[in-house]
Amino acid sequence: MLSPPSIWTLDCHLVSCQGPGALLGRLPDVRVNFGLRRSDNCGERLRRNFLLKLRASGDAVPSSGTDSLEHNAIEVEKGDPFGRFRGVISSLPPVVFVIKRNPGANFVIGFCIATSIFFIIGRLYSARKAVHDPPGSVADLVRRGQLRSDRRGISKPLKYEDPFNNPLVKVGKKNSTVEMCGKVYRMAPVTLTKEEQAVHRRRRSWAYQWKRPTMFLKESDTIPPDVDPDAVRWIPANHPFATTATDIAEDLAQTNVYQKHGVPFRIQAEHEALQRKLEALQREEKLDKLVIDRGNANDFERSLMFQEKSSDTEHSPPHESSKSDHSMKSSETDSSPEETQKS
Amino acid sequence: MLPSLQLLSVSNPSSIIPSTTLNPKPILRTPKPHRFSKSSFRPAAAPVQSVLQWNRQPQLAGDTPRVVVITSGKGGVGKTTTTANVGLSLARLGFSVVAIDADVGLRNLDLLLGLENRVNYTLVEVLNGDCRLDQALVRDKRWSNFELLCISKPRSKLPIGFGGKALVWLVDSLKTREEGCPNFILIDCPAGIDAGFITAITPANEAVLVTTPDITSLRDADRVTGLLECDGIKDIKMIVNRVRTDMIKGEDMMSVLDVQEMLGLALLGVIPEDSEVIRSTNRGYPLVLNKPPTLGGLAFEQAAWRLVEQDSMKAVMVEEEPKKRGGFFSFFGG
Repeated sequence: MLSPPSIWTLDCHLVSCQGPGALLGRLPDVRVNFGLRRSDNCGERLRRNFLLKLRASGDAVPSSGTDSLEHNAIEVEKGDPFGRFRGVISSLPPVVFVIKRNPGANFVIGFCIATSIFFIIGRLYSARKAVHDPPGSVADLVRRGQLRSDRRGISKPLKYEDPFNNPLVKVGKKNSTVEMCGKVYRMAPVTLTKEEQAVHRRRRSWAYQWKRPTMFLKESDTIPPDVDPDAVRWIPANHPFATTATDIAEDLAQTNVYQKHGVPFRIQAEHEALQRKLEALQREEKLDKLVIDRGNANDFERSLMFQEKSSDTEHSPPHESSKSDHSMKSSETDSSPEETQKS
Repeated sequence: MLPSLQLLSVSNPSSIIPSTTLNPKPILRTPKPHRFSKSSFRPAAAPVQSVLQWNRQPQLAGDTPRVVVITSGKGGVGKTTTTANVGLSLARLGFSVVAIDADVGLRNLDLLLGLENRVNYTLVEVLNGDCRLDQALVRDKRWSNFELLCISKPRSKLPIGFGGKALVWLVDSLKTREEGCPNFILIDCPAGIDAGFITAITPANEAVLVTTPDITSLRDADRVTGLLECDGIKDIKMIVNRVRTDMIKGEDMMSVLDVQEMLGLALLGVIPEDSEVIRSTNRGYPLVLNKPPTLGGLAFEQAAWRLVEQDSMKAVMVEEEPKKRGGFFSFFGG
């Protein structure tokens, strides 16, 4: 004998596959056919659940399906009970699963579904957040000043402190496998032998006979007399090595590299040159003060400096002239604006 | 099958450290040489053992400073990435390292290390006397025993003829500095075999050849290896970079053992393709500083470990099925 839960199962399929009107119309028929009464509490509760679900899912079913269902039901009522039962079976979809209804099952099922939904939503949210804010993104380029854009975020610097305690690497018991970053790898031996390496070395020594050049020369240069022509590397004129004139001696460059303390060579040379220049200027000033009247000293200094400036711009190299200009400017700023206007 | 990574480390006979010290047990029996084909390779018969020596400090082999040039011939295979990661790994292992970006026109090592804003002086300024050598060395704040030196600024020019000599002077000067001689001097070599390459290999006494498992890179690597050997650099090891195990499984990419068979060089490391490389470049943090470490970072660490002890790989890892976690939460990726 069939029990009410089995009917519940059948009607569930009706809910999922057919229209609400047809199901409501068929439910009493089915119950009548199997000798069930509507006074049963379970049946009554089931019906209420049905009505709720039918209202939710009834809109999606076309009306033609409802009409054909009613037509079938009328035909079934006309036959004998066994025929009606066959009609019901044939009109219903096959039973896929059976839910044995227990007291409190609804609560448990609902709780599980809600938990799963919350878990999935949380998982999706965290995954999406991770996708939107990955370390090493373009925002880091912005932070480093490589991209000209607004600041889009600063990622946290990561440090991996201990190289000798790596929990992500686990060796298998027989040392034939290793697990790294969640994947298990099997070890395979390297097949290269010393003999094979020697064979390759001989092959290459035969194929590539080469002597490292020790001197780079531009294509238009002439070979110095004491240099082996085989040791010369000819480089094109637009090569970075070739586009600079050798304005510094080799010995001096070597000394610069070996220097450990003190002021670097060029800085010191420039400083000394500037010092000499200032001293010379001061000597000239002293000499002038001996000869010239103090009352006219300022005017004379200015004219003398302008003469010197014009001679510097004519004869000195550009960087020296710029420095002399700088010293001139500083001396000019010392003088009063009235004097500037006078001159 | 597909060899992807390697963890086994066996002391080189040329190492000054006895092998018994490094490996108390003989961990590997040298397999018989046999011809290898991708489809028929089955490593099961050989008694392979892996020794992951994470639990001790590697012992430095060879005379210091170890001047290592990292070169490839072909561009874009990962020389600079290798220099940055191996250099910082060595620093993390406790060794003092000076990395020299010898790429005159196209320097990038400072970018990978995140030190681009701190490079004020270069070797050109040192040669010209604008600064001292110690002023041109950029010390990394993360690992103070790591220093960077660039050869030149993008628009500055290196005086002709000084290239190789300047680096020899530089190494000599570093040997005698007050802070002590660095343990490693890594030279990031430019691509090609032009004047920049000649400059970079001049002071080196060992080389790391970086290659990828494709025939263009392998041809250039073979030629560069020949030039290095002609120059007298005999200690040459290779790092196979950008290995994709899925493509090797589909036989669309040469396996590491195929690469080794073609070049005949000892393996220092095998680096898998890793999207984290681009992210680490963007951040200015090399892969080996990532936490949690990535597969590529771990492979670089192991390569650095082997470089310290002058070891070479005697076994590669073959990828198997991912570890099954099972359970309800695995369905959601938990």
